[in-house]
Amino acid sequence: MDASILSIQPTAPEPIYRQIVAQLRRLIAGGQLKAGDMLPSVREVAGFHAINPMTVSRAYGMAETEGLLERQRGKGMVVAASHAASTNTHDRLHLLEPRLLDVAQQARELELPAATVLRRLEQLMGEDP
Amino acid sequence: MNAHAVSAKPVSESTSGPSPMVACGLRKSYAARSVLDGIDLELPRGSVLGLLGRNGAGKTTLLNALLGLTSLDAGTVQVLGEPVQALSDATKERLAYVMQQPAGFGWMRVDQWLALMAGSYPRWDAMRADHLLSRWQLDIHAPMAQLSPGERQRLELVRALAIHAELLVLDEPASSLDPAARRDLLRDLAFEALDEGTSVILSSHLVGDLERIAGQVALLHRGRLLLRGELDTIKENHARVQLPAAAEALPGEISRRRLESGGVSVVIARAPGQPWPTQLTAWHAQPQPLGLEDLFVEVTS
Repeated sequence: MDASILSIQPTAPEPIYRQIVAQLRRLIAGGQLKAGDMLPSVREVAGFHAINPMTVSRAYGMAETEGLLERQRGKGMVVAASHAASTNTHDRLHLLEPRLLDVAQQARELELPAATVLRRLEQLMGEDP
Repeated sequence: MNAHAVSAKPVSESTSGPSPMVACGLRKSYAARSVLDGIDLELPRGSVLGLLGRNGAGKTTLLNALLGLTSLDAGTVQVLGEPVQALSDATKERLAYVMQQPAGFGWMRVDQWLALMAGSYPRWDAMRADHLLSRWQLDIHAPMAQLSPGERQRLELVRALAIHAELLVLDEPASSLDPAARRDLLRDLAFEALDEGTSVILSSHLVGDLERIAGQVALLHRGRLLLRGELDTIKENHARVQLPAAAEALPGEISRRRLESGGVSVVIARAPGQPWPTQLTAWHAQPQPLGLEDLFVEVTS
């Protein structure tokens, strides 16, 4: 995998290191990243996205503490063996929770009924399976 | 050069070593106008600090003060372990200041200027200079007088990086560059901090640039530093809430702005790990996280 697998928005309210960890969590749970897959180096990620390498390093460190990643001597960071794709729907849904809360709040603010929002979500997911 | 040379203190090479820049209680006013009104600043070693502020906020005055280039009414600055008013020549060679509009040497060609610099700095790294000159597409045969302000500034940056400065102070280093070139420059600076342990202070009014590479930020507003600290921590612990105009002041409130709708927009800060003030539930107010630009606008308007 290369650094373009991560999508980073420096101007978002969410700190960059948290964006990276959250994406790694999702990519691993969703199976796009498999146990043993090598991650792009801190330099590659920082260089590609023009962000501070120390921020990337912090994100990798946090993902390592969380057990998502393992540091392999001479190889860099790899996806930890214990973190194969989660087959459990509940676990995977849980990762989407913060986003769903956002959508729910904004839909309420816009006074959109749940059925309308769900229909649109189904369309979006159907278009891009 | 400097008769007041002070013997250099030993500097540890670890990232937890002494801070390369410590400023305490800086004050300066022009006539009745206070430009610096009690500035305290400590730069962690090997970090990139972004100094933010509106145009005219006094960022350049602060940078000049940090480097001892302007007189102060009060306060002290330590640079690389020495008082800034009495830096030894050895210490001066370990720091570099890239001004917003460097001037001088207009009668020289770029290559002549480079030769002069190479001769003046024992630490000059010619390979590094050549590499940067070609990377930034600077024509070494051009007369200095014909360089654009952006090119002139990049040439100063070549000097700063070629002497392997340990402390790099840059005043609006990217303002004359297009977005792509700006991004390249910032990337180079961030890697410099990583690879060489260089500590960097850069001022900018371009918030997006700083958000990419600054680990630390400080916002200069009305002579004081607001929002000083680690950018990630700042983002995680500030939020905006909208309240009715009658709402009393909240704990941790740092700014309040009237909205056309009649309510107020309030920015609150909390200590890391602490919850938002409980008063918010009474107003049914949801704390809204902010990017640096929104935060900047809220607290300076």
